[in-house]
Amino acid sequence: MAQVPLHGSLIVSDWHRCKDSKEYFCKILHKKRRKNFGLLESPVMPPQAAVDTVHYKIFITGKSGVGKTALAARLAGLNIPNIHHETTGIETTVAYWPVKLRESGRVLFFRLQLWDCGENALRRFDHLLPSCKEQVDAVLFLFSFTDRTSFDDLSNQITKWSGPSVSRVVKLVVGTKFDLFMHCDVAERDVRDFQATWNLPVLRTGGEVSDGLGDVAPLLNCLAENLWHQDCVTASQRFQEETVTVL
Amino acid sequence: MMLQDGSTQLLCLTASSGVPLFSRGTSKQLPFSVIGSLNGVHMFGGGQGTVLSCCETEGGGKVIWRVFQDSVMLIAVSGGGQGGPGSSKEEVVRLQRLLENVWNCMVLVLGQDELANVRNVERLKRDLRSCFSLIDQLLEDRQEGILGSLTHCADCLLPPNPTLVQQAVDGFAQAADSEFGCLIVHGRIAAATEKWWRLAPQEVVLLSALIRFLSASGSTSCDYPVFLPHGSPTVAHRLLRFQLLPGADVCVLCGPTPSLHKAETGLVCRFWSPVVETLRECLTVGERCLPGSVSLRPDVMALLLINRETRRSVSCVKTSTHHPPGDPPLPSKSRCWELLKLFYMFSMSRYFAQEETLCVSQEERTQRGTTEDFVLGFSHQPQQCYLVTEECKSYGLQTPQHQLFLLIVPSVPTFALRTVATQTLSDIVSVTGF
Repeated sequence: MAQVPLHGSLIVSDWHRCKDSKEYFCKILHKKRRKNFGLLESPVMPPQAAVDTVHYKIFITGKSGVGKTALAARLAGLNIPNIHHETTGIETTVAYWPVKLRESGRVLFFRLQLWDCGENALRRFDHLLPSCKEQVDAVLFLFSFTDRTSFDDLSNQITKWSGPSVSRVVKLVVGTKFDLFMHCDVAERDVRDFQATWNLPVLRTGGEVSDGLGDVAPLLNCLAENLWHQDCVTASQRFQEETVTVL
Repeated sequence: MMLQDGSTQLLCLTASSGVPLFSRGTSKQLPFSVIGSLNGVHMFGGGQGTVLSCCETEGGGKVIWRVFQDSVMLIAVSGGGQGGPGSSKEEVVRLQRLLENVWNCMVLVLGQDELANVRNVERLKRDLRSCFSLIDQLLEDRQEGILGSLTHCADCLLPPNPTLVQQAVDGFAQAADSEFGCLIVHGRIAAATEKWWRLAPQEVVLLSALIRFLSASGSTSCDYPVFLPHGSPTVAHRLLRFQLLPGADVCVLCGPTPSLHKAETGLVCRFWSPVVETLRECLTVGERCLPGSVSLRPDVMALLLINRETRRSVSCVKTSTHHPPGDPPLPSKSRCWELLKLFYMFSMSRYFAQEETLCVSQEERTQRGTTEDFVLGFSHQPQQCYLVTEECKSYGLQTPQHQLFLLIVPSVPTFALRTVATQTLSDIVSVTGF
């Protein structure tokens, strides 16, 4: 299993709070809310401060009702649906996120396309899962803190993603509905044990959307850092392989 | 005469055994015993060789029953509200349309086979949950300016530069191996391939509703399996939807290829980047649905224009700028939409003939029979009608190709209404060719 980068070792964490990030973050905001970009649009910086955009495809998986659609909406700053409706196909949502690399100080826009598909639809239609897996860069395994079975099922899910063909896929675990501690069904100790067994980052989300950036920043930064790390690992492996062939 | 919007409850049961499958609706759910009785009385009728399709309570409430594919029974119950006895005809028409639309929704998501041959009721119950988002949208009917579920005509927006967007839609659909493509702007069809228009009118309306729902969530693209209730009720197609700009979505119906990822990365920018400015112009047309080149008379408050041949409609409510001080205030925008719908139902249920293809259900045909008797009582067909109320004056007219429904400010003299209507019709048709 790929080494997980240390939190904050590659990118500046909490960069959205720094002054120098403002000109970048204002490009993804509109009237203090996250801006919704169509496929023909993207955040545009002035020519003298042009920034590269890196594209990633992220698949969200988890039991029906854990909050896959809600997480995608939260990360992209869209309205979170207040009633649960089954997603009856694939829906993708794009979140743009500016990131500053720690070592070089270089700024990048991460374009994170989140792929979300209802569990029932996946079961009923065979073509959906291959479509979600096509050229995927990361998987978010979701469980709900209020649904024990969704947590117990994680190991099953992760095992399905452990073959050599998907070894380069970044894997993160996200626990949703963390705010509903009254109905909490998953103990903190279980989460720690799980983390130790699988060596995967476990992130938590839930509750009201507050200032728009603060509550999604940890998750988006963690995701971006892991994706960037994986890219670097892949690039260096390829370099080594090429060197070996040359020799 | 004109009814208020009462609350509507929808019940779904298995036709053979009366097991409740789901119930939707904003009001408090009916007690189980009432649901049981509603099913029981229908079953009793069946035993006597009669079909119970509709009844009215003393308080003006209505109940409509309908069985689909001998398998699923839908019941719509609407509260009495303020409507007097004269309103019942319009309300029955509305509820019958609703049941038909709900059934089509269920087929769209689940396919006819699963609904017609129920093997496992618990599984069907679970699967039916996937339809709730669309059904709720039909029940709430909350988006102003979308009248398709009532008129069974596609809500359209007439773009300022139709040729360019038409070319882009045609080219994009072809590249995606599809003959069915359409561009939806603000929830209305701005352009579509020829084959898209050959889908059944109810399917076009239903697909538009699905696309609106998907688009409203703000997601970027979708790959949704859909069954076409008339064209392909047992084999699913893939509905691919791409948000080009917020408010502008392009969709294609296709087979196994291309994958969502391939279509999005390979085709979207190729076909749509060159026309992005044209798309922005379409977006600025907004709720008016008509390009700026069409000027409407200032005394027209709202209009609904239907092309009877192509089953398309445009509608708009103007926010009035000219209003003499001292006059009673004009109805609000949302009230105008409500009045427009009511006037449409009023005219259609009393005077104007409906296209035969629309009267799909036996029940609706029977109901219409009484209207037709009334219409046939005259030696000629009504072509125009008007209604004067405290809030506004309304005028409807039909030609072999069009039907136009207008709300006009009350200060316009009644004798001038006809001139306003004919002029409005010719203004729109001459400029847009609608």
